[in-house]
Amino acid sequence: MKIVVCIKQVPATTAEKRYTDDLRLDRTSAESVINPLDEYAVEMALKLAESGAVDSVAYLSMGPDSAAEALRRALAMGGDEAYLVTDPALAGADEWATARVLAAALDKLAPDVALMGMASDDARGSLVPGAVAAMRDLPLLSYGAELMLADGAARIRRLSASGFDIIEAPLPVVASVTDQVGEPRYASLKGIMAARRKPLETWSLADIGVDPGSLHGGAVTRMLEAKPPEAKAPTERVENVGADEAVAKIADWLAARKLI
Amino acid sequence: MSNDIHFLAEFADGAPARSALELAAGAADLAQQSGGAAVALAYGHGAADGAAGLGAAGAARAIVLGDGTAPAITHAAAAAATVREAAPAAVLAPATPNGRDLAAALVGLLDLPAFGPVRAVRVEGGALRTEQATLQGTFITVSEPVDGAPQPAVVLVLANTFTPIEGGSGSAEVSRAAATDAGALGKATVVESHPADAAVVNLEEATVIVAGGRGVGSEEGFKPLQELADALGGAVGASRAAADAGWIPYQLQIGQTGKVVKPALYLAAGISGAIQHRVGMQSSENVVAINKDPDAPIGEFADLFVVGDLVQIVPRLTEEIKRRKG
Repeated sequence: MKIVVCIKQVPATTAEKRYTDDLRLDRTSAESVINPLDEYAVEMALKLAESGAVDSVAYLSMGPDSAAEALRRALAMGGDEAYLVTDPALAGADEWATARVLAAALDKLAPDVALMGMASDDARGSLVPGAVAAMRDLPLLSYGAELMLADGAARIRRLSASGFDIIEAPLPVVASVTDQVGEPRYASLKGIMAARRKPLETWSLADIGVDPGSLHGGAVTRMLEAKPPEAKAPTERVENVGADEAVAKIADWLAARKLI
Repeated sequence: MSNDIHFLAEFADGAPARSALELAAGAADLAQQSGGAAVALAYGHGAADGAAGLGAAGAARAIVLGDGTAPAITHAAAAAATVREAAPAAVLAPATPNGRDLAAALVGLLDLPAFGPVRAVRVEGGALRTEQATLQGTFITVSEPVDGAPQPAVVLVLANTFTPIEGGSGSAEVSRAAATDAGALGKATVVESHPADAAVVNLEEATVIVAGGRGVGSEEGFKPLQELADALGGAVGASRAAADAGWIPYQLQIGQTGKVVKPALYLAAGISGAIQHRVGMQSSENVVAINKDPDAPIGEFADLFVVGDLVQIVPRLTEEIKRRKG
């Protein structure tokens, strides 16, 4: 049983971010990390490996050369090997192009489960898992609070309107998991040392059989403008007052806005 | 290629979801701009009988993809075949887990451009323009499909972007999607269902939310927040810390990995305002925060920031609001 976890390198959550003049995310200005929500997918895969349900865990990323750092960091948490698809034609790739590339690389790796995080910090469309499943003609099990593998099938526990459902599909599948799978482990010093010796292979588009000409220049969407949000009125602060005075202030504030 | 605007209309428990009513209004508005008609792609429990009723919400026509309680993603092949055949100008999808799954499948099956989650969408000179908050809300970006991109565009829409049409009438002309092989995406099945004993509020529908965080301290601590929410005619929500602690169901978690809400009033009690929480509530019209810590990050983006003890303030505020409402 083989899992490939797809990870994305993103600017750190708390880093100041900006767009370049040609309206791409400036990836040089901020510290880069594994997309925090992908770390939960890594954790889920490693838990399954520890339980014996999975024999091998590999990582796959698409990005610039520097995305190899994110793959090394994942390997330091655990797992066996990593693959980076990098190609000049992929700068500024959108969700559709990303899904195309990951789908082609996953076809080559042919895992039982292609596992992803529920969203990326810097895009938040959450469309890549479903688009990859559709492109590869595989079942999709998305937003799992847990992933289980048994008897040739995968199952997820997924929140329903009030409780949860167990959803099942025959392997192979594409799956995504949420931050409810449990906190991701830290890489140990031993893990970091071991990661240096684990195989990390770099692939171009040609290596995965994708014709760059088929990618519409890496995107079928285009950003026209990036502007700061509308300026808000400054925060009104109420402090150093007793509870009764604070309550009167809040009630007056709400009444002035016709909220009560 | 038509000028119609399609939208995903989810049904559950025999009725259209709030998202279906919001998108019907949005699609009707966009269809006016594009010179086409709003067409519902209805699925879920109650879709077959309820699709015609979407006419009052703004849909001229409705195409039923499938009824029943199967996972939404199992309707992907029917949705793709319908969209390929009808060739609308855009497909609107709710930015919910089910809406995203189906939208993603359309992107993958038909190689379509995807946008969102957006907070506004319009047709300008025949071109689709979308507007979304990116990089944790630090930028607003405007995007469009590239020249020669496959059509239609798939647009994820945040809850409360459009307001349902009230008091509408008329019924949508209903047809059924042509039978299609559901393919591999149709193989996901619900093998167990564990609903909670009590129904959980859909926070995306609440116009007032009283949200509690780590500072609330316990499950018991949420009771005064519920009483305040009741007095305000609203619902209770929570930060991830409170949901992780088990004080409140995950369905009520607000933030990056929970619900994205946009109420008229968001009252946060004991929530520090980490960026992951902020992205779930930053579009709220009015934000009031109560926190003991004068340096809590929420003090930088709330409209009214009260430094104080929520245990003292919340019950008194409930009484004061009841008193003023008479």
